[in-house]
Amino acid sequence: MLALKLLAVFLMGAAVGILYRVPRSLLLYGSLNAMLAWLAMYGFAGYGGNAIGANFCGGLMVGLVAELLARLLRKPATIFVIPGFIPLVPGREAFMTMRFFVEREYSQAVAMGVQTLFIAGAIAFGIFVSVTVYRLILTYQKKESGIGYADKG
Amino acid sequence: MAREIGKQTGKEESAPVKPITLEQTVNLAILAGEVMLMNGAETSRVEETMEHIARAGGAGEVESFVIPTGVFLTVTDPAGQSITTMRRVRDRTINLDRIAKVNELSRRLADNRLDFAEASALLGRISRERTGFSLFPSMLAAGLVGGAYAVLQNGMPSEVAAAFFSAFIVRYIAHIVSRLHGVRFTFEFLGALVAALVGTILHGFWPVLGRDIIIVGGIMPLVPGVAITNAIRDIIAGDLLSGISRGAEAALTSMAVAMGVVIILAVAGW
Repeated sequence: MLALKLLAVFLMGAAVGILYRVPRSLLLYGSLNAMLAWLAMYGFAGYGGNAIGANFCGGLMVGLVAELLARLLRKPATIFVIPGFIPLVPGREAFMTMRFFVEREYSQAVAMGVQTLFIAGAIAFGIFVSVTVYRLILTYQKKESGIGYADKG
Repeated sequence: MAREIGKQTGKEESAPVKPITLEQTVNLAILAGEVMLMNGAETSRVEETMEHIARAGGAGEVESFVIPTGVFLTVTDPAGQSITTMRRVRDRTINLDRIAKVNELSRRLADNRLDFAEASALLGRISRERTGFSLFPSMLAAGLVGGAYAVLQNGMPSEVAAAFFSAFIVRYIAHIVSRLHGVRFTFEFLGALVAALVGTILHGFWPVLGRDIIIVGGIMPLVPGVAITNAIRDIIAGDLLSGISRGAEAALTSMAVAMGVVIILAVAGW
């Protein structure tokens, strides 16, 4: 089951890359990021973490891997971020929110809506944190080594 | 700073054969900025690219201001003459391939690995060429996104196939609607409408198939990935105006998707 899901995430990353017209040679890197991020999320959730924390971990992984790949391959990090986080998007939760609203189960709808927002926010904040920390480390290293300029890739 | 001065003097020694006029520099830089912004680059990247190109053209000072709907650029040459231009960006698409290409072009220009005339020819070609996949492969890709998401939600093989079909059709709707330029959020709304319709109809014929999983798979390709990513990156970079407006774009897109689904669910009779 895990292998099947990993395969699905891999294909999903590549497919998202095709939809957003990522350069063909970089499709596999997007898939790689998607798999790592999803594994981080799945692993954390498997060890008893809640959905919000798990998605935060996923987001952290997305940002970190994307920045590393961007620096390694000298390409914009966006190319790796988008395929990375799409498999984490809380589509099911968002849908259940709508469904509960239509069914007039307002208290459940609001609860599910808040969960959707928190998951989405956790992914975004995970990316935010890892990119910021990565930039901070780079700035610190530059100051230490005295190199004046770093290419953001 | 020291690096830039060093680079400029280096350039004057090596290649003063054909001087580049200020107009040429400004035109190339703003075209690059426009192409990047139209194809979904984040604000700081557009600004950096324009600055790289203008400096490679021998500019003294470069100031730029980029918002999601327009590019402003002022270039001052060492003699103190300056030109200010702006471009309004109306049609926005998503093409990360072009962004990567223009990005590389500006870096090569900045490192003197590319001639200025070559660069303008290349940029013209990048802005005109058709990249990416044609309709059928991108429909398959959209289907794959939907189907894979159904797998992640523990869908049965038949549900995965149904979700694939639903997302596949949604991409075709996008192809039809993309001819109506200037009407925002129509594609997301209609796409979600169709995904919900497909889910409801398939569930009606074969109750074994979960309706929810088909709809969720169908709306996955509609997630505003670029808007979300750019909103985050713009806010990190301190481009608050762009970040907020891109966040609003992402929120409104999600709202359009939600409305499309809600209408079908409500009509289908709850």
